[in-house]
Formats: sequence, C-alpha cells, structure tokens
Amino acid sequence: MSSSTEATVADWSAGRHVMAGELFLGLYQPSPETAGFWEGVARGELLFKWCAACARAYHPRRIICPQCSSTQLAWRPASGEGKVYSFSEVHRAPTKAFGRGAPYTVGLIETAEGVHYFCRIVAQQGAAIAIDSPARLDFRVLETGQRLPVFVVSAEGAR
Amino acid sequence: MTKLANNCAIAGITRAIGLRSDQDKKTPLQLVVEACSQLMRQTGVGRNRIGALFTGRMPRSYMTLQYSQSLVNELKIAPMFSTEVTSHGGGALGTIELAVLALNAGLIDYALCVTGEASPIWIDMIGGSANWEADLQFEAPYGPTTPALYAQSACRYMHECGITAEQMARVAVENRRWALHHPYAAMRAKGPISVADVLNSPMIASPLRLLDCAPWFPGGIASAALITRAEIARDVCAEPAYIAGFGQSNTHEWVGERMGTWGVGPFEQGPSMVRTGARIAAAQAYAMAGVGARDIDIVETSVPFTYANLLMLEELGFCAEGEGGRFVEAGGVDFDGGLPFNTTGGYLSFGQSGQGLYLLKEIVDQMWHHAEGYPVANVETGLVHGHGGPLACHSVMIVSKQPTC
Repeated sequence: MSSSTEATVADWSAGRHVMAGELFLGLYQPSPETAGFWEGVARGELLFKWCAACARAYHPRRIICPQCSSTQLAWRPASGEGKVYSFSEVHRAPTKAFGRGAPYTVGLIETAEGVHYFCRIVAQQGAAIAIDSPARLDFRVLETGQRLPVFVVSAEGAR
Repeated sequence: MTKLANNCAIAGITRAIGLRSDQDKKTPLQLVVEACSQLMRQTGVGRNRIGALFTGRMPRSYMTLQYSQSLVNELKIAPMFSTEVTSHGGGALGTIELAVLALNAGLIDYALCVTGEASPIWIDMIGGSANWEADLQFEAPYGPTTPALYAQSACRYMHECGITAEQMARVAVENRRWALHHPYAAMRAKGPISVADVLNSPMIASPLRLLDCAPWFPGGIASAALITRAEIARDVCAEPAYIAGFGQSNTHEWVGERMGTWGVGPFEQGPSMVRTGARIAAAQAYAMAGVGARDIDIVETSVPFTYANLLMLEELGFCAEGEGGRFVEAGGVDFDGGLPFNTTGGYLSFGQSGQGLYLLKEIVDQMWHHAEGYPVANVETGLVHGHGGPLACHSVMIVSKQPTC
C-alpha cells in the first residue's frame, strides 16, 4: 500500500487517498474531531481528549464522553509516562517503505492517564521490550518520513 | 419474550465456488447469483415468494453503494426487506438472525440470506490489504499488519493464561488433518504438518508465525440460505436444519479502541484484550436453544489465527476460562477422537474467504451426510461462530436436526 502519509499538512480538510496499487481504498483524512491531535503531533505533543467532569482521558477521536455525555472534551497533553501493555515485533512489514525498518515493534502502551495508546515501541540499546516495561514518550521519524509519537523503553527503565 | 428457538429452519443452503486458477474468473456477483438461483430451483421457492433479502457485508471486490439492490436487480425479486447486515464477519449469521425475527413476526414466509466474497481472485490480498484491519489514521502510520494487530491479543492471552506456542501450534496441526480430506481446502496439497513445522515457520508478527496465520482461500465463495418457519420448511425441503439458538455481541472498532471500552458486554468488569463478545453471543445462543456445550457435536469457527481458536474454545464454553491451551494439548480437538472442530480445515487450512455462510453449510451438510470433506458421524446439533475482526464482532448460531426444546 502506497499511502501518502509522509508529512503532516495544515489543511486537514483535503484528505489524502490511500491506495493499494492502483486501487483506491479510502481516505486517510484527519477531520475536525481529530485535527487537534495532529496539530499537537506537528508541535511535538501527544494530546488526549480530556473530560474534566469525569477526570478521564480518551484516545482517539472521542466526540462525547461515554460516561457523562459531555461534549466539552478538551485536548490535553499526555504526561508521557507509561508501560508496555502488549506488543508484537513485525517481521513482515505491510509495505516496502516500512520493510526498511523491519523488524520493529508495535503495541499498546498503558499510559499514566489510563489510555492504552497504540504506537511504535522503540527499545533503547541494551533494553528489551516486555509486558510492564516502563516506557516514555518521544518522537521519531518513521520509515514513511512521518514524525510520530512513539514510546521508548530504556535500558534503565527495563531493570 | 417471543419463543424463538426452533421456530425457524434452514430449508436449503447452497454454495458457488470460483477459483483464482479458473479460466473464466468469476466475480462475487456471479457467484452469489449462481448460489441463489440454485437455491430457488432446489426448493421450488420462486422469486415471487422471497419476502426478505439479507446480505452480509458487500464483497470487497464488488463495492457498490446499494449492494443488496444489485442482487434484487439480478434476481428480479421484490422483497419487503432488503439490506446488508454489516457487523463485519458477524453479519453473515446476522442475516439469518434478522430473518428469524421477521419470520417469527409473521411478516414474511421466506427469507433469502446471502454472503459472497471473491477478493483473492481480483485483489492483491497481501500487498494491498496488509493493514486492512488497522485504523488508517491512528494505527496504520505505525506500520502494523493484520497479524500484528491480532498479536496484541495473543500477547496478552499468553501472558494472562500461560498459553504456549506449542499449544497454539497444535490447533494448526489438527485443522490441517481435516483439510487433507477436503477437495477445496487451500492447504490440502501442502500435506500434513507437525507442531515443529509451525514453530519453525517464519515469524510474521511475534508471537505469530506463518503457520499460526490463516491463508486466503484461493478464490471466491458465495453461499445462500433459505430460511422459513419450521412448520412450512418440510413443504420445500426434505432435510431442514432447525435454528435452535443464536446470539451476537459487537464491541469495538479497532485494536487501539478496544481497551477504551468498558462497562458493556464482555467488558462489563473492565476492558480486556483477551475476553470477547463470543462468550456473550454463545451464552445467548445456548440459553435460547436450551442446550449446553456438551450437547454440541460439531463446531466451526471463523477466527484467522491459532491462538484465537484456543480462545474461542474457552469463550464458546468447550473448556474453562484460561484452559484453551491445555484443552487442545490434551487432545480436545484432535482429528482422532476430539471434538470435531473446523471440519473443513478451518480458516487455518481451508483458508479464509471473507465472512460467509459456508461454515454454516458445512454443519448442515455434515448433519445430512453431504459433507465434501471427512464425514462426522451422528451430527445432531452443531455450533457455528462468525467473527469480525479484530475480535470485535461475534455471532453464534446453534442448528439442530430435531427441535432442541
């Protein structure tokens, strides 16, 4: 799949085509309810939707709070602290571009806010990724050229 | 509540198959029309008597905005109800569940339930769909594949229940043994496999190796079922199968959303990457049918990875929670003497062809001694599980040769 996910763009309304060869699969389209997240990413911040009434964080694209029905959800920076909840080392990558980085690990990070964030998990030199390994937010340019929030398991943290 | 158990029956179920290697490649629409036409001829229920058309999700290789209308148009029928039932793979059985409701209400006499898919004939299913089950905005940018998304649950299942790679491999081995007897099984020509073969196959997305993953069926399959009230089923069919019970549970969209779901269905006590709506759907189906897992003679599941088969054996009640690995290890689903499980070879060895009613057809065929593969003796009651990924939609149906209650 040659999706055009190389760079973030300012005009979220444009949408971008996700292609499988010559086949159109759909739109990779940040929309008004998710634009704030990607604006945060562009600034180097990981934002979760936050319901102040419930003191509860959500990800991604929560439009109402399922607990109290509030529509007053605000974007709030994540603490950046978390631990590995689940992971998988990808040996056969979905595209040639991603294949250049394989094997790499994707998984769920249980963040301090309670959100389980799906992302790339990076092990520092000498560190191993395991369930419950402490992990910290960072940003990396991935194989597609897109700069994204990732979580890093450090050698000290793993001990 | 209205009594639903055994009030309706499958009065016929047909299938059309097209292979990628066929000289004349068939579209899903061709296959679906073929299956429907065969069903209408076989039962004598003509196009003027079809009261409802329920289709599963539209085929990926035949996408059109009003898919059901394509069939209405081809078959020249004029049903009262016509809709796609799109709870992902759960929708295949969902078509029959809606048919039972409409039939019980007395609104219609005959419902045509149809599924069809032929993507592997027309689409590059590996290159073009490697992250089909990923959220395109929030997950795909990180480079997951479908196995890597399902692996998140495998990782937790192994961690929480102590499941081993050897136990997972065992189900692939036993599924393959059934496939060796089925003329259409994708992996038949590959011959038998051992646990060591699975453990030595290339790593795809840890902990899942090549032989932990389902291959695509090398073609397309369409299935059509005619559903009617039990009291009139015998008028059009000598070998009906009673719809004894069914249930369904739908919980989340993507893997990354799953842990953000709580307080409902299988996540009543909190979110989980392991527990699924299958346990809810199965409990509903057993309660409706008035039977338990011990009464089931044959089981077909539609989960595309080894670990998920072990998990489903738990969720569907064939062993206790956390015991799927030990159950299979102890011969629970052995080809020789175990519970007849995925008797076509299953997704792992027959191959996956989108969602479909062909798994239900296998049970009806076994019940009435028409199975194409290895015959299972004395099938009175069978259970089929329809799954939509990633472990998000679950439909369970129990069918029986005689009314169960």
